[in-house]
Amino acid sequence: MYYSAKLLPVSAVCGGIYRAAIRRLQTRNIPLYRRLPFGDGVLAGLVDADTIFALSSGQGRCGVSVVRISGPAATTALRCMVGFRNHLPPPRTALLRSITDPHSKEVLDRGLVLWFPAPHSFTGEDSVEFHIHGGPAVITGVLQALGSVPGMRPAEAGEFTRRAFHAGKLDLTEVEGLGDLIHAETEAQRRQALRQMSGHLGRLYQDWSQRLKRSLAHVEAFIDFSEDELIEEGVLAQVDISVCDLQTEIKQHLKDERRGERLRSGVHVVIAGATNAGKSSLLNTLCQRPAAIVSPIAGTTRDVVETALDIGGFPVLLSDTAGLRDSPDVVEQEGVRRARERVQQADLTLVVVDSTTLPSEVQQAAAFLLEHLGGVLSSQEQPETGRCLLVLNKTDLIPEAQREQLTLGLRGVCGLPPVCLISCQTNEGLMDFLTVLQSSVKALCGDPLTGAPTLTQARHRSHLQQCVMALAQYRRYRDTDLALAAEGVRLALTGLGRITGRVGAEEILDIIFKDFCIGK
Amino acid sequence: MSHMLTKKLPPVQSILFLVTRRASHLSKQRYDVIVVGGGHAGTEAAAAAARVGAETLLVTQKIHTIGALSCNPSLGGVGKGHLVREVDALDGLCGRAGDWAGIHFSILNRRKGPAVWGPRAQLDRQRYREFIQAELLSTPRLMVLEGSVEKLLVTDPNPEEPGSHRVTGIHLANGSHPISASSVVLTTGTFLSGSLFMGQTTSPGGRIGDAPSSTGLSETLRERLGLRVGRLRTGTPPRILKDSVDLSLAKLHPPDTHPAPFSFMNTHTRCKPEEQLPCYLTYTTPGVERVVRESLHLNCHIHQDTKGPRYCPSIESRVLRFPGRSHQVWLEPEGMTSDLFYPQGLSMTMTPDVQLRLIREIPAMHRAEIHTPGYGVQYDYVCPTQLSPALQVKNTQGLFLAGQINGTTGYEEAAAQGLWAGVNAARWALSRPLVALSRTESYIGVLIDDLVSRGVKEPYRMFTSRAEFRTSLRPDNADLRLTLKGFEVGCVSSVRHDVALRVKSSLQDAIASLQALTLSTNRWRKKLPGISVSESKSSMLSGMELLQYKDVSYEILASVFPECLSPYMELSQRLKIEAVYKPHCDLSKREIERIQKEENMSLPQDIDYFTLPVSLSQEVREILDRFRPSTLGAATRLEGMTPAAVVTLFNYVHLTGRKERMVNRNEADNEEEREEDLCSRNAPLPQ
Repeated sequence: MYYSAKLLPVSAVCGGIYRAAIRRLQTRNIPLYRRLPFGDGVLAGLVDADTIFALSSGQGRCGVSVVRISGPAATTALRCMVGFRNHLPPPRTALLRSITDPHSKEVLDRGLVLWFPAPHSFTGEDSVEFHIHGGPAVITGVLQALGSVPGMRPAEAGEFTRRAFHAGKLDLTEVEGLGDLIHAETEAQRRQALRQMSGHLGRLYQDWSQRLKRSLAHVEAFIDFSEDELIEEGVLAQVDISVCDLQTEIKQHLKDERRGERLRSGVHVVIAGATNAGKSSLLNTLCQRPAAIVSPIAGTTRDVVETALDIGGFPVLLSDTAGLRDSPDVVEQEGVRRARERVQQADLTLVVVDSTTLPSEVQQAAAFLLEHLGGVLSSQEQPETGRCLLVLNKTDLIPEAQREQLTLGLRGVCGLPPVCLISCQTNEGLMDFLTVLQSSVKALCGDPLTGAPTLTQARHRSHLQQCVMALAQYRRYRDTDLALAAEGVRLALTGLGRITGRVGAEEILDIIFKDFCIGK
Repeated sequence: MSHMLTKKLPPVQSILFLVTRRASHLSKQRYDVIVVGGGHAGTEAAAAAARVGAETLLVTQKIHTIGALSCNPSLGGVGKGHLVREVDALDGLCGRAGDWAGIHFSILNRRKGPAVWGPRAQLDRQRYREFIQAELLSTPRLMVLEGSVEKLLVTDPNPEEPGSHRVTGIHLANGSHPISASSVVLTTGTFLSGSLFMGQTTSPGGRIGDAPSSTGLSETLRERLGLRVGRLRTGTPPRILKDSVDLSLAKLHPPDTHPAPFSFMNTHTRCKPEEQLPCYLTYTTPGVERVVRESLHLNCHIHQDTKGPRYCPSIESRVLRFPGRSHQVWLEPEGMTSDLFYPQGLSMTMTPDVQLRLIREIPAMHRAEIHTPGYGVQYDYVCPTQLSPALQVKNTQGLFLAGQINGTTGYEEAAAQGLWAGVNAARWALSRPLVALSRTESYIGVLIDDLVSRGVKEPYRMFTSRAEFRTSLRPDNADLRLTLKGFEVGCVSSVRHDVALRVKSSLQDAIASLQALTLSTNRWRKKLPGISVSESKSSMLSGMELLQYKDVSYEILASVFPECLSPYMELSQRLKIEAVYKPHCDLSKREIERIQKEENMSLPQDIDYFTLPVSLSQEVREILDRFRPSTLGAATRLEGMTPAAVVTLFNYVHLTGRKERMVNRNEADNEEEREEDLCSRNAPLPQ
């Protein structure tokens, strides 16, 4: 069905990745994602005429990265970035070309360019693929250049697949897995966004969102209530200042070339579990050096210890976290909070359990582990396949017979992730564990869903740009038509809401009633 | 000249005589639609059902109180005015009644842009009631009966569809036999298990001076139909004798000098501009707060946990929530010849002597006398998530609810729901498919969608901020948005339909003329020397674009190009508004189309979400099961829905829809004699 497969192996690989992802996801169980990441409709991709782009190859050790563009303005990318001014390239033919920035005309990379006119493409729309070098700088450059082309925006979760579905390009089994695929992409984007949002940037966006919400509430209050109430023009003067400040701040932020801390690419693997289960020993074993302090005292690790590793050739960011327990110590409490935060953001969690604490009877042990897992991952749902490994440590301290019982008895227990028995002391079972870990990392890495930080950054930029433009509308109409001015603030909040979460009408009304004494 | 103004209303006495005479010999008949309640929801429901073509009976406790304004003597406002215009566009009563009974017209938000203008009027209670009663009397197919409904008659649930009842009629308190009907619309307002509060005394009832409704109705809803019911409260201020108020201490608030009518059918109001009465503004003092605090222990209404409206709080709640402030009190006339003031903002529930002490703390009322004391009301409402967008109770075929029984507050909100429930009740009785209004096309759609898909936690009032597409849903274009659709569903007369068609084509012609009028900016500058046209010299501008300029009016353009523009002078204001809003409406068009597409995908009401063989989390299943959204669009708006879940649902509906259509086609081939009315009853909400 991907006719391009006949011509081009790389495209075939991409289609294959999507198909594989869909197949893999069909069996997944879905935890709830509370907030829609986009302010507006979920089926937007079905009728949207926007042109979308995304990195559709995985991260890590890839010589070639594929950037996909789909939609009516796809040809614009060919015209303004590849130099096909007057004619388009022959369809479905790989051409080696320089890819340039449409504004600065600087050469970003030399790579293969492919043009798939509608309807013969993955999405059924006009599509373009850039096959570029895999370095982060090149990818960032190309994505940002695309973001600056009018009518072009970064794809939302699952949008390519949704468009393909709408164009009737997916077969029935693929369609059934579509919801799961979108869920996985949403989750991957959410984890990526959480990582970016947990630091300074997150606080900044949240602060903007709060201020914008308040401004909108005050404009709305002025529209819906002022004439009969005690809401005076002074309210609007405050909004003017607030909107003006926000506009300047966001503009400044967009200009700022320091993009905050550089986000490290790679699969985020987090070691978590109770105190003294041997988490830090596992970290040290994995990185083959004493990166973290280990001691028999519970609560030795208090902060997150992070190490970059290469596992089977794939980049991994391994974090050791504080043991989860209730502690009166404020420093340790903060450590536990950070640990939980890391688990939320992790691509893969290694839950370490001290095997001497397990009940000796296998079924009881399974029940114990299930409950324990829920506590560590802080969710009621079963962990997704491939997102968690259970590591039973200190097997040198339990009898041989129990070890064998556990190995056999825990295999395939419903709801339990793969279980590895190891001893960080004697290195027993380590090789088996590494094999399991490596295959998990490989699966995550080859998956375009794991989400490159650059793409999330590109998405944020495009939403912030919308936000600035919308705020300009407020100022343009402030004195002539407050309804249109308010529309500007609403649009700005929708733009920002795509980063920080949707804001509903009730939330705005709540602020109005909290801030004003309204009685009509 | 509007037809309304030339019409002579018969005197009230003869109306009563006629209505009761006509009602006296009817009780044996069978009706298509029975409407219970004669308030804003009930009257609109009954009139709309009859317009659609159903034989309709309106049952009310007292014919004399049909069309009574139980609380404030006013109609419209910001958001509420939008609803009045929409009800009027659907040929409802309240807009024309407002034009007939208004004695003080003003457009709120005049300086804030036409999308949020709020047409509002103070009303003469007497005239409003007269108009509504006369209108109902002259509506063909509509009968009015005085009585109290003892019981709602419903069938046992259909064994093949568990929980699915069907309404068969009503039983009156004093009636010897039931009256049967295909549809029943309940608009019981505050009367459903209503109780009145004043000081520490409570008594059953929904409005002072009226008998309490029977408890049978409430029981049927709760026990027999198993509907979830909640409780809300509201209140009304004391009425003050006009002569006893010292108006020199209050600020005069004049009406607009050119009163603008609510109705699209009227060019002017009954009340002449110079005959209008003013309102007065005054403020509470620290003394008011003191009286409230001193008497709190004697006031049981305020101590209850029941939710009251946040935006129409009693003076007690205001003082307690925002202490140390001065609150506005509006003194509104109750009628042309009435000797009373309605003190807006002074809703209270203390004992009458405390009420008197309280109002006398306000300077303008230091010698004021109370005519009727204020009181609080608590009443049952049915959680509206149990209704479909057609306002039909999901588990009871033919039962429709409208007004305060759905948890709303306000005349306009009630009228809007009443009209739409009436339309659907009639369509149900006549075996036509039920219809829904989208939130992309009307405030009525926003109101109903908010109610049925989110439910209420406190009395629901309309605000313009609830409408996502506020710039498209304006009071000026309600006729374009709704009248043609209303004609299709049957609730709009051909007279109004013709008017709307004429307006629509004139607007289109005028816009085409304006767009054809494309000149270079240079030439525009020469033609209109007073206007600073900012575009660069070479660019071309159409008349439509030029009309977006702040200081360009249609009149100015028409004076320069009289030959092509003067035919549309009567639409000048609407054209100016269209021009300013067009670019913004165009922007939201795609979003509107997307939502409408999602709203057109209906979800079967009998899905068992817990066993649906698709990948959905338990929590999403619970949400879907609780709210049972009627369309995919409604599902999308539920709190806690995920993008993935929506896509999964979409796939499911898409696939099963296709399978069903195939099955249906086969069945149709096999048994062509299938009854037509079954098909239409099972039909989903139309596109």
